Parts: sequence; structure tokens; C-alpha cells
Amino acid sequence: MGQTGMEYLIRFEAERCIQCHGCETACKSWRGLEPGVRYRRVFNIWHGQYPLITSSSLSLSCLHCVEPSCAAACPEGAIFKEPEYGMVHVDEAACSGCGVCVEACGYGVPQITGDGVMRKCDVCIDHEAAGEAIEVPPCVDTCPGTALILERVDRSEKVRHERLIQKLYGETRSV
Amino acid sequence: MNYEQAKNVALRNGEQVVPTVCGMCGPGGPGGGCGIYAFVKDGRFVRVSGMDESPVNRGGVCAKGHAAPQWVYSPERLTHPLRRVGKKGQGRFEQISWEAAIEHIADTLARQKAKYGAESLAILSPAKRAYSEYLQRFLTVHGSPNYGHSGICVMQRAFAFMYTLGDWPRPDYEQGDLIIYWGRQPIFSGPVARPARAFLSARQRGARIVAIKPSVEPDAGMADIWVPVRPGTDAALALAMLHVVIGENLIDQAFVDTWCYGFKRLKSHVKQYTPEWARQICGVDSGQIVQLARWYATTPRAVIDIGNGLEHAPSASDAIRAIAMLMAVTGHLDRPGTNLFVPAPRAAPRGVALKERYDKDLIDKLVGPEFPSIFQPFLEGPSSAYYRILESVVTEHPYPIRAIIAPGTQPSVSTRGTKTVLAALQKLDFFVTVDVARTAEMNFADVVVPVATSYESGHPYHMAPGWLMATNRVIEPLGEYKSTFQFFLELADAMGYGNDFWGGDIDAAMDDLLEPLDLSMAELMSKPHGIAGKPGPPTYEKYQQTFSRLSPAIGHAPFLPQGKIALYNTTFEAAGFNPLPAWREPPESLTATPELADTYPLILSDYHTSKSFSASWQRNVPHLREIEPEPILHIHPDTATERGIQENDWIRVSSLHGFMKVRARLYHGIRPDTVMVLHGWWQGCKELGLDDYPLADGGANVNVMYSVDQEKAYDPLITAMSSQTLVQVERWEDR
Repeated sequence: MGQTGMEYLIRFEAERCIQCHGCETACKSWRGLEPGVRYRRVFNIWHGQYPLITSSSLSLSCLHCVEPSCAAACPEGAIFKEPEYGMVHVDEAACSGCGVCVEACGYGVPQITGDGVMRKCDVCIDHEAAGEAIEVPPCVDTCPGTALILERVDRSEKVRHERLIQKLYGETRSV
Repeated sequence: MNYEQAKNVALRNGEQVVPTVCGMCGPGGPGGGCGIYAFVKDGRFVRVSGMDESPVNRGGVCAKGHAAPQWVYSPERLTHPLRRVGKKGQGRFEQISWEAAIEHIADTLARQKAKYGAESLAILSPAKRAYSEYLQRFLTVHGSPNYGHSGICVMQRAFAFMYTLGDWPRPDYEQGDLIIYWGRQPIFSGPVARPARAFLSARQRGARIVAIKPSVEPDAGMADIWVPVRPGTDAALALAMLHVVIGENLIDQAFVDTWCYGFKRLKSHVKQYTPEWARQICGVDSGQIVQLARWYATTPRAVIDIGNGLEHAPSASDAIRAIAMLMAVTGHLDRPGTNLFVPAPRAAPRGVALKERYDKDLIDKLVGPEFPSIFQPFLEGPSSAYYRILESVVTEHPYPIRAIIAPGTQPSVSTRGTKTVLAALQKLDFFVTVDVARTAEMNFADVVVPVATSYESGHPYHMAPGWLMATNRVIEPLGEYKSTFQFFLELADAMGYGNDFWGGDIDAAMDDLLEPLDLSMAELMSKPHGIAGKPGPPTYEKYQQTFSRLSPAIGHAPFLPQGKIALYNTTFEAAGFNPLPAWREPPESLTATPELADTYPLILSDYHTSKSFSASWQRNVPHLREIEPEPILHIHPDTATERGIQENDWIRVSSLHGFMKVRARLYHGIRPDTVMVLHGWWQGCKELGLDDYPLADGGANVNVMYSVDQEKAYDPLITAMSSQTLVQVERWEDR
């Protein structure tokens, strides 16, 4: 482990998101995702009621949770917390595509792709490891408001961010 | 990323990187003018990253920008010129060569010119693109004034501003403490460009942000105050604000005394426009109108940024003039944190339009002047309104247009009155489409000219404020075609106009136009992220020089004959128009036609920008279509529930003029008496299995819904066709 206990995080700052979907499309393009597969999704959130109403946005991809419920639920043991970067990693060879993780994840993150394997955001680290250069995750690189920031944080900070996102994600579905 | 990072990525992936300008959206065009790095693998354009060094986007790229490779390689691209062999609308074509297409078009235009006069040719203008001036130049040399400007965008604001203030003052986002976005979408119109970043930084600075529009998009959603105005009633709101500001004496008396003409007449004129009067028309609480007027007048650093939303109503010129007057009487002009007079850049490439050749004979031939002939040419040259050109084919009044070229524009979905447009295309003698992919009315074309995307072109240069960049070629053209620029140069050459068109040689054109900058295209191309200029120090209170500007109309009368802001406009009065801004109702509205409200109780209008598409383009691109897969109507949940409509239901939207089939989106951020839909829907997306929609009734083309009544649907000064009507909304039942 490089920095003990430090995990990768793509931080989302709602105040800086203008809901342009650039991150979502950058991800699809750079990762060559097939139609229907979305590693990153952008949502609108309403606050209040007409006419006193405002809105905000959420750009969401895998949070690489400190305690991932998808890993706990996977009957094949194909999902595990990778130690060096704190990534939630999918062993594609072991994945049966059963979809239990899709149900287990509280954020709708896991995507069952055309070949029957679960894939999702890997902070582009696996992709780099497989020999495809990216430099910076394209979602982060492209964001005009710097609402997405790549960081390494300790677990308590990661949990704090996770709770914030959990709240926002709940609000996307409240109306 | 920066150039070093981009080169590193390319090197590690066995790719080439080409620095260039994005080609996915309109304004700087083709392309909004964002700097990008385009990556090419084995000759194929694979992906894009934002150019950190570009002062326009500073490394950001939006969804459209990233979807460029899918657009370039879409199955909807055309690879060879086509000539129609079947009946109009049937879609039967034969493939012809590029040279044969040019020859056929040149022969036809020459024959028509001899028989009907040069003015029988019209070229429809798309949104402002890099090639727009080349269209003007072609028409001028040919002898026709009929450049078909939209009549609904940009020049409408420019006209009302220039003839009121002598300039279109730009908002000082950086220093304003109160920023009012009025009918403006600072995000979707270019999410990574300056206006969007200025919006974010103003919020972070703690500036108070107000959004005036009928529904909440992400910008209004993040504003401090949303003013939910009814579509097309901005003039009533602005007039009532003038009533408050002047009535409560919240004016800058010294500025008014020195630099405004006709204040007393304006003062007595706006007495009638009380906030209570405006409330009934625009649906905004009168207390909110008063508060907004007071805030604006009493905040020393306050700006108003008006958008395209104000340009679609019969009272559009009045709305824009009244807002200009709000700026004037409160002294919010060319001072720090207000609306500024920004001087033109000192050094610029040579202009493409041949302005010195405009004369009265040319102007007199306009088939449907966008602005009254006495005010022509305006800033972009002579122009007829896009829709009036098509209408003339049907009515033959004042004479019928015989040939239309449509480069990068789709008349059946871009302008109002789709049924008239389709009738015109059926009747038209000669119709040429020039576009990168299949277009909505391609089957009516006599010749279909496919053209290169900007990624396949290698020209032109792109000039944004503070940035000059070469549009470098990313890949070779995918078919037997060239760029839109080359099409017009070669057509001109074939018609014997070569002396005015660099002998048909685009490279010679680029070098000639850049010559005033002491620069060649090759030199510009050698600079991987172009040439960034530093803005000079701001200068303020340039009143004398701004208010004495000469207009581009024949005779070059000054915009402001008194050398002062025209609160009372003697120029308009002399031409037979209202010297003071007034209120005119849309053709149908709750207050204009209350008798219709039983049958059609809701107001319909449409959005002209979206986060996913450029106007009526790009519905064929899967990455973008996944964001907005189907045409949806924004409807307030209470309004939907009253009608038994649930989220995602197919619904029927009917007006006096037509009907649409779209899906319902229960949308909390919209006036309950208003529904809104995105304009430009027609195209399917083959990769996602989505079919085309019908162009007329029963499709999703909002243009069928509106009145095109010559007496009611236009602003008399600036054309501005109405995009408001009354509708009923119900669940779709197959009948």
C-alpha cells in the first residue's frame, strides 16, 4: 500500500456543477462504452415547490465505498476492495453477470454490459493498467466548473463524501 | 489537458494528436470555438479532450464536443453528391460527382438569373457560422440581397440595441453585484465557454443572480431569484419596471440629462404600465416586479444579460428597447459592473462580406426584408427573413424566389410555419441542400451536396475575443466532398465570379484574409494552440464616441441622430414606427384571446438550446441521444395530474394550428399555466433504433403549433416571429 489508508476519490461539488453532461459523455467516449452503459450519470434535483423552487445537480459514478455493499452481496466473490487505491474492483473472469450487485448497490452504479459482465467506473486506473493512456480521468479533465476533483483521502473523509452523495442521490428520486 | 499531456497520451496509445477547434455547435462555427485536442488512431478520429491553453474553454469540453467522433462517423453522413431523379419528397436520387454537382448548380443559377433576375436566388442562413459571411459574399457578387436570416436570433437584439444605445452593451459579469439573466441560457448555449464560467464565478463571489424565464433550467435553478414570466411577455415586464424606476425617481438624473433624448415623453408614456397591469399579462406578482426594479436601479453595479428568449415575440423589439432604456435611465452603462461598450478588436482578419458594394438597387430587391428596407443593410449585410423567403415561393408576393440553397440549415424544422415551408419546397423550382448529413427535407432537394465537418476541412481560422486559432484537419474527408467554404468558392468560380473568390482557391482565401494580421495560414497552423491576445485595460464612459456611431444602412445615417440615447426614437417615428416601446400581444395568449382559453387553456413555447443538441442537428448521435432520447414536454405536475397524465406518458398537444405527439415530463420548475418543449425534433437515431418523427402534424416539430399570420405573428421592426400559442394537452389516444 502506497499511502496507508489513503483511497482514491472523485469528489463531487454540487455548487460547481452546471449539469452539462460533459463528464458523462467524456466517459462514454474515452472508455468506448456501448449504448445503454453509463459509468457516470448526471441528475437534476428539485428543491421546494413552484414558484419558490430551485434546482441543483448530481454527477454520480461508483463511489468506491469504504464498505461496498456490492462486494458483500456478490455470490461469486468477483467484487473486492483493492488495497492500494481503495478501489472497488471487478474480477471480470469471475463475474457471472447475475446482477445481485445491481440490487445491492444503493446508487444504481453497476452496469451489466452486452457480454454479461458487470462493469463500472474504475477511476480509469484499471484502464491505464491495461495499457491505455488517459492521464486524468476524462470526467475530471473535461469539467468546466471543476465540480469533479480527483483526490486521495483517508477513509473518514471518504465516508463523509459518501454520506453527502447518498443524501443527494436520495433527493434525485424524491420527486 | 495541456498540449504536453495530450502528446503524451497520443504517444503512449500509438495515436496522433491534432490541436483544433471544436465543430459541434453554432456561434463560432461551425463550432462554438472551443479549443480541443483531437486524437487519431490508425487514421480514425477516436476522441477529444479540452485544450487548457484555449482562453475560450480552458480545458473544458461539453457533451456535444465529446460526441464529435460519433457525429463524424454517423451512418447518416452522406458521402457523394446526389441529384434527384424521382418526384419531390420521394427520396430517389442518383449519385453524381462533386464537379458535376457544381456544374449543374452553376448552370441552373445562371439560367435563372438570366430569366428571373439575380434576386430570384436566396440562401438560407444557419445560426451564425464561420461560413456565414461567405454566403453573403456569394449573393452580393451574384446580385441578390436575399440572405435568409432566421428572424429569430441575435440580430433582433442587435437592431433594438443599436438604434437605442448605439451599441449592444455586454454584461460585466466579473464586477456586477446583481446579474439579471433575462430570457437567457448561459449554460446550454456553450457550457464550457465564458458565459457559463462567469455564471459560476459570479455565484461564488456572492453576486445576487436573478433569472427571468418561464421555466427553471440549471441556470435559473441555481439563481437566487426566479421570476417566472409567461412566454413572450417580457415587454410588459420591462415596461412596468420602467414605470417603477421612473415613477419612484430611482434614475441617474445627471446621466439622463446629459446623454438621453426624450426622457419626459418616456416618463409620461410609461405611467400607464403599472406593475398591476403587467401582472395580468406576464403572470409575475406585482410585488416581485417592484422589488426587481428597485434592486436593479439601486444596485450601483448591476447588469442585465438578455438572451434569445426575448427574440420570439411580436413585442420583441419593444422588450429589448425597454430593457436598454432601463440600463440608460439608471446609468448602468459603460461603468464598472454594468453593461459595457466593448470596442472592436484593433487588429482583425479582413472582412469577407463585400460591404462596399451594397447599394439601394440591391436593397430594393429584398423579397421579405428582415428589418425595414430603410434600415438595410444592417450589421451583417442585407437580409430577408428566412420564413418570408419560403412564403414568397407560395404567395409569389412580391415575387417568387426560384432557387434556395440551404447550407447547414433545415427549413422544415428551423423556422415557424412548417406547412408553408413544405408547400414552398414542393413548389420551388430549384432546391439545393448543403450539409454534413441527411437533413429533414433532403428528399425535396434537386441537388444534395454533402460537405465536410470541420474535423475534415483544415480551414478556416477561428477568431474569438482574445484568441485566433487554425481549424486544423483531423482526418481526411470520408467521402467525395469538400467543405462548405470550398463549395461556395468553387461554385462562384464556375459561375465566372472567380475574381471575387480567390479563383476558387480556399488556401489563397485564408492567406488573403489573414494578411492584415501579417500572418499566413501556414504560420497560424504552426502554432499548436493558436495565438492568445491579452485584453487591454478596460475603458469606461465612452459615451460620446458610442452615441455618435454611423449605421451601416444606405446613406450611413447615425444610429442616434441626437447623439444621445433614443428614449424617444425619432428615427423610428420618421419611418412610421412607434417612437416609444409599447406592448403587443402574441397572436394567441390568455390575455389576447381569452375566448380560446376554454379549449386551449395552456401557453406553449419552446426552448432553442439544450445540453445535448445544436438546434435541429445531431439527434442522430447516440452519446447525445442517450441524454435526451425522446421529445418531452415540460408540464407542471399539478397541470398533468388534472389531466390524468403521468410521467413519460405519450401526450397530444394541440393548438389552433397543429398538433404534436410527445412524452410528458412532470416538471416542478415550470409555470403551471405554461408548457415547453425543445425545438428541432425530427431525426431518428439508427444506432439506438429510434425512427424519424413526422415533420408536420403528429410529429414532434413545435413549429407546426404557431400562428404565422402576417398581421399578428411578427414584430413589425425586427421580424421576430412569435413562438407562443395556446394549447390543450391530453393523453395520446390513437384515433
